[in-house]
Amino acid sequence: MEEIIKVENLTKDYGSGRGVFNLNFSIKKGEAFGFVGTNGSGKTTTIRHIMGFLKPQSGKCTVMGLDSWKDASEIKKYIEYVPGEIAFPDLPTGTEFIKSQAELLNLTDMTYANYVTKKLQLDTSANLKRMSKGMKQKTAIVAALMCDKDILILDEPTTGLDPLMRISFMELIKEEKKKGKTILMSSQMFNELEEVCDRVALIFNGKIVDIANVNNLKNLDYKTFKVEFNKKEEYLKFKKLKFEIVRDQEKYNQVTVKILNGNINKLFKVLENYDLKFISETKYNLEKYFKEILIQQKGGKNV
Amino acid sequence: MFSKALFKQSIKAHWIKWLCVTISTCVMLAIVIIVLGNLGINDIRDSLKNVFVQANEESYLKENSVDSYELYLTAISNYNEASSFSSYTSILTNEYNEKVNAYVTENGEQPSDEIKNGYILEIAQKYSAMAGLLQQDPEELKTMIIGLLTYYKNNPELTGEQLFNNFFVYEIYNQAYAQVYEEEINKGSSEEDAVLTAKVQAESAKQVATGAVTKYNEDKQSAGESFNFNVQNYLSVANNFVNEFMADNVYNLKLSEGCDESEAKQFAVSVKVISNTAISTYQLWLNEFKTENSGADLTAEQIATAKGYACESISDQIPQKVAVALTELGEMDMYGLIIGSIFYRIAGLLLPLVFVIMTANGLLAGQVDSGSMAYVLSTPTKRRTVTVTQMAYLICALLTMFLMLTAVSVMAVWIAGGNNFAINYAEILLFNLGAFLTTFAFAGYCFMCSAIFNTTKHSLSIGGGLTIFCLVCTILGLFGSSVVPSAMRIEAMNFFNYLSLITLFDTTAIMNGSISWLWEFGILFAVGVVTFIIGIFRFDKKDLPL
Repeated sequence: MEEIIKVENLTKDYGSGRGVFNLNFSIKKGEAFGFVGTNGSGKTTTIRHIMGFLKPQSGKCTVMGLDSWKDASEIKKYIEYVPGEIAFPDLPTGTEFIKSQAELLNLTDMTYANYVTKKLQLDTSANLKRMSKGMKQKTAIVAALMCDKDILILDEPTTGLDPLMRISFMELIKEEKKKGKTILMSSQMFNELEEVCDRVALIFNGKIVDIANVNNLKNLDYKTFKVEFNKKEEYLKFKKLKFEIVRDQEKYNQVTVKILNGNINKLFKVLENYDLKFISETKYNLEKYFKEILIQQKGGKNV
Repeated sequence: MFSKALFKQSIKAHWIKWLCVTISTCVMLAIVIIVLGNLGINDIRDSLKNVFVQANEESYLKENSVDSYELYLTAISNYNEASSFSSYTSILTNEYNEKVNAYVTENGEQPSDEIKNGYILEIAQKYSAMAGLLQQDPEELKTMIIGLLTYYKNNPELTGEQLFNNFFVYEIYNQAYAQVYEEEINKGSSEEDAVLTAKVQAESAKQVATGAVTKYNEDKQSAGESFNFNVQNYLSVANNFVNEFMADNVYNLKLSEGCDESEAKQFAVSVKVISNTAISTYQLWLNEFKTENSGADLTAEQIATAKGYACESISDQIPQKVAVALTELGEMDMYGLIIGSIFYRIAGLLLPLVFVIMTANGLLAGQVDSGSMAYVLSTPTKRRTVTVTQMAYLICALLTMFLMLTAVSVMAVWIAGGNNFAINYAEILLFNLGAFLTTFAFAGYCFMCSAIFNTTKHSLSIGGGLTIFCLVCTILGLFGSSVVPSAMRIEAMNFFNYLSLITLFDTTAIMNGSISWLWEFGILFAVGVVTFIIGIFRFDKKDLPL
């Protein structure tokens, strides 16, 4: 598959450990790629390099085979961008802003822009300065999406949106993805990325710790269940059975059992004869996955 | 290289600011020109100037009177001394004629000038030997004989006493001419002016001397053998003569200037009074010094002091520093100061410069700082296009602002009296051009700062800071500049002018008709162009935190 965005050995050292260091990854056509990491971990810095706003100290970023820094204006023909910080030009209303942005994009057909506006339930006639954070975010999204280009880059796009708005926004992104757009999106929320992205990179202190394949995480061949017993002797009795126990909390008479998908029935049959306080499935998700990795890297310390 | 959409965006973002600044500056300018024009602030200056012009004229008149008075007395006593010599005139001329005639009979033609000069020298040598007889210095006598005979050589129709009298007056004319000519040249006057002044003064000296000689001869004739010359007897005569003489001169001058007779007479009388006052004062002081000296001769210093007192006018009676201050105040051009140095260089620049500082920052650094630049740069718009468009906007905004200002100022000057107004159209146009170029230079500088820095904080403090610093320096420097009268001037404050770029906009030079503004404006323009270009190139290469 064609590599749309490629980052090779990208390094930008801001001193005292800040910046990004020797990043390598590539995003294929039609793929949704996520960035996750704490504040200041280097997500935005990486995106700014891809956008050609920053000059790499070493290494390079390419978009559609064009150098991000040298051909900064050329690559923008393919990119829709929603910046992380939302500040609009000094214009009176959202409508004016959308209009001005369309002019800069040489866009005359506003049907798609209107569709997005409606989808996000945005009233563009409001005063730009008096807009709420969510409205501003929506306006920025409309300004980015209206041109319908191939690549969509979003820097923490859901901050400030209310939960309902977030759902319709995520729908919109999924729709874009379905159209075959290549998406690069950063977020602090694992579940968001999990929902949309094919692959998610964890950035920590300017380095990519791991790139997880979300589809693989979703389709694991085993499940884990947390079981708590009412009686101590039953708890002890259960432990003697040959189930794989990944976590054991004696204080609560609690065990976490990892079991292959094919053996689930067997487990439940056994548990029929026990007096249980509760049983719940512990979903294995991105968050857990990365937590495990970070714990491994830090030598077992909690993050 | 140019984005219409971005240009429109900039207009929409800054037009209110632009309008406010333009209107308020235009209104201020119109008020300054029209209202001050009708108030006639130069009237005070003019009347003050008149006082000093009159004072100078009076002083000059008095000086002339006292000089003439002295000349009269000197002439009359010198003539008295020389008159014993006058009877020898015929002897000398006869001897000279004999020599010439002898030459003619011998050679059948007039002797050459050289030969004539030889004869003169011979005669002079011969008679100077008799100096003891005339109680005179032989060298002086020799010079006198040479002078007399040379004068005779050129005016052979004169004889005897008449020849001597004319020669005497001629000598005084020559002396006066030489003296005045030298004085004028030393003062720095041109050759032509010096000759003219010397001629006028020498002519008046000649008239005074003629008057003295005539009077002497009249008196001698009427008194006959009993005539006994004493210069003291002629003091009041000299006074009267000089008064009449000065009055006559002024009378004739006024008539020739087109005054009617009664007016001319009035002038003549006032001149007579001034002249009389001067001479009387002079006499009084001389007498005062004489008693002080208890009979000894007056020193040159005393005479000069007496003359100084006699020639005093208003401007001499007030302390020197005050007089200088008042004179300057009289010569100060209030319109030049208020419109040129205060309005165009300070008050009128303030708002446009504030506009420049705010707008230049808002065009780049402000948008980078807030992050809104991301929207422009996430479209296929080059950074170069952004900078060039923003620069074009800034320059256009200033250009239109100053076109408005120019239109208003030209109209205001027209209302205030057009070319009769203290500031003419050419000057007001140059003022506007200069103010535009000054703001252009600062616009370039602020734009450069805006392009270099990523935060409003830095862009404003470094770009706007220096701009305001220059303006403040110009305000402080005003108190040390030559346009402020010395009473208010503090020389040391002029130092501030060297710290300010606005100094290159020299309104005083424009008012004085100097063309130094040409290169000064050139520098301002160059500063603007260079800083704009640096800004554009820098913005292409820097990291943008968007």
